[in-house]
Amino acid sequence: MSEDRDILFALVAVLAPFSLLSVGGGSAIIPGLQHQAVDVHHWITAEQFVEMFAVARAAPGPGTMLSTLVGWKVAGWTGALVATLALMIPSALLCYGVFRLSDHHSDKKWNRVLRKGLAPVGVGLSIAGSMTLFRLVGGGPGAAVITAISTALLFWRPNMSALFVLAFGALLTVLMRMVI
Amino acid sequence: MLNKDADARAGRPIDHRDDGPTIARLVLFCLKVGLMSFGGGLSGWLYREFVQRRGWMTDEDFASSFAFAQMMPGPTITNLIICCCSRFTGSGGVLACIIALLIGPFFAVLGLYTVYGTLSHDPLFQSVSDGVVFAAIGMLMIICIRGVRRTIAFPPGMAVIAGTAFCIGVLHWPMLPVVLCFAGVSIVMAWRTL
Repeated sequence: MSEDRDILFALVAVLAPFSLLSVGGGSAIIPGLQHQAVDVHHWITAEQFVEMFAVARAAPGPGTMLSTLVGWKVAGWTGALVATLALMIPSALLCYGVFRLSDHHSDKKWNRVLRKGLAPVGVGLSIAGSMTLFRLVGGGPGAAVITAISTALLFWRPNMSALFVLAFGALLTVLMRMVI
Repeated sequence: MLNKDADARAGRPIDHRDDGPTIARLVLFCLKVGLMSFGGGLSGWLYREFVQRRGWMTDEDFASSFAFAQMMPGPTITNLIICCCSRFTGSGGVLACIIALLIGPFFAVLGLYTVYGTLSHDPLFQSVSDGVVFAAIGMLMIICIRGVRRTIAFPPGMAVIAGTAFCIGVLHWPMLPVVLCFAGVSIVMAWRTL
């Protein structure tokens, strides 16, 4: 029993600092996490890590849910829960704290300046994000057509359910791959 | 329906009666986003819901929250949900939203791992999850289109958009230094115009 608890503590000790280092969506911590889980703690083998990485990418949710699988492997359901929380809570608390702090002063001039200044950076990041995602899922000309169709749908029909557009994209992709 | 569409396209907030951001509505929304967020990139869905469809937030509030969410550690979608939802609900409500966002993926990733080798290599499953991502990129494109339209009359703002997109999307430079750099320039420019 105490051994179980030691493992849970070790999971938190490894993952909580990574939470605060996971800048840029989380892929930055993957090499460090592999080093800790495979080489230092011998929780999993290198092959298992690669497998978990692939599963976390294929499943819905943030890529950092890889930690859930590591926790699951070493300590079952409790491990999965502890690992997920250890990786999510520190960064979430930090984000909440900083956001509330600045939101509290939302009528001050510096806050308006901050929001006005950050807005174009946010737009630039969503352009970069589109490009990265497109490359990541191996998008070709067919994918570009499907993206363009869904963009047009979303643009001309702002009230259309997003779920419908996502399902439509999935259906078109399935049909396209059956034909080609 | 068509009038509403025209309003939303023109950037006019749509008048939905009894359509405020209640906790139940936020939690349900987070649940849906969590379950569908294959490969990430569902920030566009938040934009659609909070800005375009419901008019709960302004474009500028969303775009600045989006930049903030990416600069902070942690998954962008989690941070963005925190920023957007904490405008309308207290810490307990935000916690409920985050749990709703992560509970689907929690079971999905474990479920997929136990059937690994069958489902995740299945071409049909691959196509479905790729297709969801292609459509999700469409939602990000809407943020881009509306952001560019809003900024087009202000060339320095356009330079910030283009520079950020080019350095990260094309040159693959590390995000944090690039964002800090452009944010610094952009904030100084905003200071001078306000």
